[in-house]
Parts: sequence; structure tokens; C-alpha cells
Amino acid sequence: MELIVLFGTFTGLLLIGAPVALCLGAASFATVAYIGLPPVVVFQRLNSGISVFALLAIPFFIYAGELMVRGDIARRLVALAGAAVGHLRGGLGQVNITASVLFGGISGSAAADASAIGGLMIPQMEKRGYGRDYAVNITVVSSIIALMLPPSHNLIIYSISAGGRISIADLFTAGIVPGLLLALALMIVAWFVAKKRGYSTEPFPGARAVVGLLFSALPGLILIAIIFGGVRSGVFTASESSGIAVIYAIVVTILVYRSLPWNEFVAATMSAVRTSSMVLLVIGSAAAFGWLLAYLKVPAELVIWMKGISDNPLVILLMLNIMLLMLGTFMDMSPLIVITTPIFLPVAMAYGIDPVQFGIILILNLGIGLCTPPVGAVLFVGCAVGKVRISQVIKTIWPFYLAAIAVLMLVTYVPAVSLWLPSMFG
Amino acid sequence: MVEFVLTLSRVLAAFSRLVLWMAGAGLVAMTAFIGMQVWGRFVLNDTPTWTETSSILLMGWVIFLGAAVGIREGNHLSFDVLLYVLPQRVVRVCHYISDFVVIAFGTGMIAYGWQLADTTWSTTIPNLGITGATSFFSLIFGGVLMILFSVERLLRRAVGLPTARFGEDAIED
Amino acid sequence: SACEITLKSSDTHPEGYPTVAAVQHMGELLKERSDGRICVDVFHSAQLGEEKDTIEQTQLGVIDLNRVSLGPFNNIIEETKVFSLPYIFRGTDHMHKVVDGEIGDAILGEFSNHGLVGLAYYDGGSRSFYNSKKPITSIEDIEGLKFRVMQSDVFVDMVSALGGNATPLPYGEVYSSIQTGVIDGAENNWPSFESSGHYEVAGHYTLDQHLIVPEVLVMSKKSWDSLSAEDQNLIREAAKDSVPVMRELWEAREKASEAKVREAGVQIVEDIDKTPFIEAMDPVYEKHVTSDKLKDLVQQIRAVE
Ligand code: NA
Ligand code: NA
Repeated sequence: MELIVLFGTFTGLLLIGAPVALCLGAASFATVAYIGLPPVVVFQRLNSGISVFALLAIPFFIYAGELMVRGDIARRLVALAGAAVGHLRGGLGQVNITASVLFGGISGSAAADASAIGGLMIPQMEKRGYGRDYAVNITVVSSIIALMLPPSHNLIIYSISAGGRISIADLFTAGIVPGLLLALALMIVAWFVAKKRGYSTEPFPGARAVVGLLFSALPGLILIAIIFGGVRSGVFTASESSGIAVIYAIVVTILVYRSLPWNEFVAATMSAVRTSSMVLLVIGSAAAFGWLLAYLKVPAELVIWMKGISDNPLVILLMLNIMLLMLGTFMDMSPLIVITTPIFLPVAMAYGIDPVQFGIILILNLGIGLCTPPVGAVLFVGCAVGKVRISQVIKTIWPFYLAAIAVLMLVTYVPAVSLWLPSMFG
Repeated sequence: MVEFVLTLSRVLAAFSRLVLWMAGAGLVAMTAFIGMQVWGRFVLNDTPTWTETSSILLMGWVIFLGAAVGIREGNHLSFDVLLYVLPQRVVRVCHYISDFVVIAFGTGMIAYGWQLADTTWSTTIPNLGITGATSFFSLIFGGVLMILFSVERLLRRAVGLPTARFGEDAIED
Repeated sequence: SACEITLKSSDTHPEGYPTVAAVQHMGELLKERSDGRICVDVFHSAQLGEEKDTIEQTQLGVIDLNRVSLGPFNNIIEETKVFSLPYIFRGTDHMHKVVDGEIGDAILGEFSNHGLVGLAYYDGGSRSFYNSKKPITSIEDIEGLKFRVMQSDVFVDMVSALGGNATPLPYGEVYSSIQTGVIDGAENNWPSFESSGHYEVAGHYTLDQHLIVPEVLVMSKKSWDSLSAEDQNLIREAAKDSVPVMRELWEAREKASEAKVREAGVQIVEDIDKTPFIEAMDPVYEKHVTSDKLKDLVQQIRAVE
């Protein structure tokens, strides 16, 4: 009955269009009152849920992304990608994917990636005769790459949701191979679709031009090097690297390149406040929701239920994947990570699945969910930027979904895909 | 009545800009603190012990202030699929309920934030030496702002003015 | 099994850890002695929150039982500070004598002024320094090394007084921070040194035993007051009876962890002259032992043979 109150209130409020954070908070509030517990516990969980040092990475990475887009660093990265892979079949589509790899490695946010790269690429692709749906398809699905490549704040949320006992550095390293595989799979699909539609290619501008653009893109590339090098050489921790990224972006755009005027700096700051406060309020409310799930012993019951169905780890993983994909279709990423990790991680671990590998499975799964209707923040952003109706995009996006799901299966059933690289560093 | 609501909106618009500026200043200060932490540890070999806790406290302010402004601006992620198929009259009722839920939750933030501050008043935060109640001030203040901005939404809707929602353009005034 | 009363208990350690097993054992004793009426359900692995939060939840009556370290109480109950002073105990036996005696009982009694009932003391092991740089054989070796400490004034002041660079850092970041060199080391007991995997990256462990802090099992006063005097007695007895079991489990766990760490080739410095370390603590005691009550308690603890 308690669970009916919890999920019933949550779903009811969600359907009438209340903010997701408030749906989580109010449902927890109602359930606590129903059980007869002091409601103050909901607000304690809300406050402690956001009072976590590692969460600082979220506002910082969002802030760094904003500064880079407004301070011209992101555009230079796109120009470099254009020169390097624009001559391949489906040229600008390949550029879009490559830019996601370069920019995604810095922003770590699929929505930021979709709006930044989409805003730059979709108009250009349309100008060169690519279908707008094709441009949006690629922008949307390739932005999942940002979730896999370091620094991904979603992996940080996962580590925290797992009790802070999974190394963030290991998670970051584990996401690299799956992220690059996803990029490769999408490039292959983009190639086939472009060939079928008869899209033209861009001329290769020559090695000299690529080198020139490489220099122009250096500030963005150096940031990647600083984050990686700084964490790996012990100058700062993974969560501190986010703050360093902001400082670097400010120094480069304001002092070195003078590409960020004061009003744009203010706008970037305000935008970062708006986005990160929204994301973090959801995380705080989800902490209250998750506390109730633990208090009502939902994870334990779920493990027992799943064990009753099958004790084959492969079947369990398939069930987990399907469940997460369905959940990801209806809800946003960060609350889902916070809510599902305490439920599914013990299940996965009970079947001998490494928590680092599971983190990558979880993120990729939910990332696909971000791109699927009815609720998909990235899909919304992509459609908004490309000015295309969701229904129109959905008709042609499925080959890209298939590529993402193929990579998901690979990550799920071949542990080495995610665990090999961290083992090299360990 | 419309005149009064428009005047109120103009005042609150200025006020919410001020709140957003405060939150932005908090974000910049957090950045500076992390910079000092890394500098102190790596360069001076003398780690400041106050930066971690202070950054977390500041983040609380950034979140609750930013989230309250988000209520006014309709930034918060919400689920609109059902609203598309419902008749306008029912949608209006849904919006009212949604605003009342925010007001109820904001009231909880104030009342229970106060209770938490009260019970932790005599404790101290390690390495800062200030009262443990400080952690809950942003929660209480955020609750006040959420109620304020939700009441504005209710009034605007009642007199037929538009209110912002997720995925729509911001309302200018 | 129909339990009339199910006591929800919180622990931040995982299933199988001595403290978790001890409270589960207490639950079995209770069930047996109450003819199946009273049960204990342990929420391990910090499912209900970190210690600071679960203490508040216990005070509110949301959680009935809670196994916690004394550290988070230092800012709530002044008397508990004495147990968190560096080198206050000469060794584990000394600590056991103190907590099993009058001083221990008096401090457990203080919890009732804060919405809690102090039931029993558990072992928390003795904390020592480990690092990735060099074996620490004298106080001079600590000079300039970066040690991760918990967010606690006493810990920061202790490491500073020894000449080290006290670096507060979240526990989850310690392993990779030692590995990459953000910090040089940290400090903890055998089981945590082993289970956290820190021994894989910090190859030198010096048994200076600077802190031997007992842990406590507390009950919510709200839950307590709702029970009959008879049931209260059953709970108090079962808690007391879980202590020897806990100590046995703890010792076994400590030995197992020690064996694993030694086998991994970690260099252990065992015989160390603690006198300079203890002398260096004078400013720490001066700063933190301020009231007459605390000064008196320090004297009493030192007087216990
Ligand atoms: Na990323
Ligand atoms: Na979705």
C-alpha cells in the first residue's frame, strides 16, 4: 500500500505536468505522512542529497560547457572535425559525430552537447542539402557519446548513488572504449544512410588546412589534456577537475582569446545556474524518494522477485536492460540513476557483474532513453534546435537506435569492452 | 486587478534577476574555492580545510535560489504528453494543482527546514566553526521564494496572463 | 514468523561486517528471548543515509536502532569528545576497561539528553597512518606528507601537530587520490585499510594507533519509550550480550585483514616510540579539552590501569 501511495502520487503529479523534482518530493512527502513518519525526514534527505562534494562536478561541467560555447571554443572544435572527416560519405554527419566525441569529452552532458553541436551543425547540414531529420537524428543519438566519455557527470551521480565506493576515475576510463565504439557504429550507419539518400561529401581541405584548424582548436583540445593529465598525474581529483575546467575556460576565453565579452560571461553564468539548479533539485528530491524505496525494502524484494524468474546472469542482464530502457523512455537521466542504482546494482552484483561495468550499462541504457519518446530531454532539444516535429524524426531515426542498442548489447555481454581499459591503468 | 498583477510581476522580475545574480555569484565563488583548494594542496603543500564544506554550503544556495527562479521561468523539466490531449479547461486545472503542489512543498521546505535548523542549532560544522543550522538556511529561503513565485503564477493565470512552462519561450516582462 | 515489533537498525558498513553481524546477532537473541515477538531488521551499507543523517533520523524515531561511530557525536554531546582524542588510550585493553567501567556508563547516560538511549559500546579498532611514500619510523618522517583526514577539527589539528598536511577528502576519492599522488596517505584501522583496497596503493603502514575510538549502539528514545519496561530490559540485555560476540568477530576480522595486507607485501612498522607523537599532542589537547568536565574526564581515563 505504501508503494501505491508513493508511485501513485508520483505518476499522478507527473501526468498533470508538475515539475519532475516536485513530483518526486511531493510523492515522498505524501508517503511519509501516510506511513506516519515525521515528514521532516523528506527535507533532511533533500538537503543531504545535494550536500555532496562530488556533486559539485555537475554545476561546474555545465558552467564550463556554457563558457566554451559562448567563448568560441566549441565552434573551433567543430571546424576541426569538419576538416578532418568531412570528406567521408555522409560528410557533415560524420563531422557531427566526431564533434560529439571532441566536445562530449568536455561537456559531459548530452543535452548541452545536443544544443551546442546541433545549433552549429544542423543549419549547415541543411544548407548542404542534408535532410533536417537526418541532421537531427545524428545530433540526438551521437550526443549519448558525451555521457560515456569523461568527464561525465552522470557517472559521478552513479558513483554517489552506489554509496560513493566506486572509483570515479575507473568509471571515467571504463566509458572510453564503449563511447568510441558507439561513435564508430553511428558513423557506419550515417555512411549507409547517406549513401542510400545520395548525400554529397565535403572536399578534403588538405593537411595544411587541418593543421591550421588544429591550432585554432588547441584551447579546446588542451582542456581535454589538462583534465586527463591533471587527474592522472595527481594534481587534482576527478571531481575537482570540473572546477579546474571552469577556471581554464574563463582564463582562455576572457584573458587569452578575449572571445567572451562581459555580458556573454554573465549570460553563461546565469544559464549554468538555471540548468544545474534544475538538475540538482531533481537529484535532491530523488534522494528522498530513494530513501523511501530503501526504507520500504524495495531493492531487496526486487532481487528476490528476479531470482525467482531465472538464475541465469545473461537473462537477468537482459531483463535489467529492458527495464532500464523502458524507464528511460519515460523519465530523465539523473533522477533515474539516483532511483535505480540502489535497486539494480545489488541485483547485478549478486550475479557477479562488476559495478564499474554495470555503471556503463546503466548510463548507455538511460542515454538511449534520453533520445526516445515520450520523454527524452535530448530528443526535445534536438527537435527544438532543428525545428522538426518529433513524429517526423522518429520515422527515420531507428537505424541509429539500432546502432546504439548493438553497442549496448556488446557492453552488456562482453565485460572487457568496459573493464579492459581501467585494468590497464589499475 | 490585471494592472496590479502586472506591477507585481515587474517587481518580482527585478527581484528574480537579483536572486539569479546572487546564485551566479555563488557559482563563481565556488569555482574560486576549488581553485584555492587545489593551489593550496599542490603548490603550497598546505590544504585549506574550509573550502570543501564552504563550497557545498554555497552549492545549496545556488540550487535553491536557481530552482526557485526556475519555477518563475518554467525551467523545470515536466511531462506534457497528457496535457496535449486534454481540453484547455482541464489543463488549466492541472496547472493550478501543479502550482499548489509547489506551494505546499515550499511550505514544507520552510517549516521542516526551520525544524532541522532548530535541532542542529547547538552543533558546529567541522573546520568552519559555525552552527550546523547554517546548512538549512538556503532550504528555508528557497522555500520562501518558491511560494512567492508560485503565487505570482496563480495570480497571472487567474487574470488571464500567460505563465511560462518547460519547453516554451520565456515570458518577457 | 510474525514479529509484533520490528526494530529498524542502521549501519553504514556492508553485510558481513562485524558491527552488522553483531546487531543481527542481537536480533536473534531478542527474538529468542521474547518468544518471537521482537525482531531486528538491519539496513546495512548506508541504505538509510550517512551517520550524521541517521543519527537525526534516530532522534526523530524514524529509525529505532543505530550503530554509529562516536565522531559525529563530538559536536552534539561534549563528553564523547574525550574518546576521540589522539593517544588517549594506551591500547585496546585500556579502552575496553574504560568503556566497560563507570566512565563508559556515565557517557552512555549522556545520550538520553539528546533523544537517544545509549545501549552498548562496540569496537572500532585502532587507527594508524599509511602512505605510499616511505615507512614512518619517527615523527620527522611525517613532515610535509599529505594525509587525508575526515571532516573533523581534531583530526586536522592532530595531523598538523605531527607536521603533516591535513587534507580533508571524501572517503570514496581516497584510493585514486593516493594512486595518482593527490595525497600521500590516510589513516584507518586494519579492516578498512584492507577492504577499501588502500593497501594496494599505500605500501607503508605504521602502527602508531593514534586513535582507538569505540563505537556505540544507540536506540531512539521515542521507540524506547513506547515499549514496556520488560521489553526495554530485554533489549538492554541483548545489546550488552552482543558486545563479547562483537569483540570476537572484530578480532577475527582484524586478523584476517592483517594477514591479507601482510601477504600483499605491505611494509608494516610495528615498534615505534610513541613518546614524541604523544608529546606533540599538547597543543591539540589545549585547544580541544577546554571545559573542566573534559579535563576531569581525561584525568580519570588516564588513571584507569
Ligand atoms: Na563526457
Ligand atoms: Na526518453
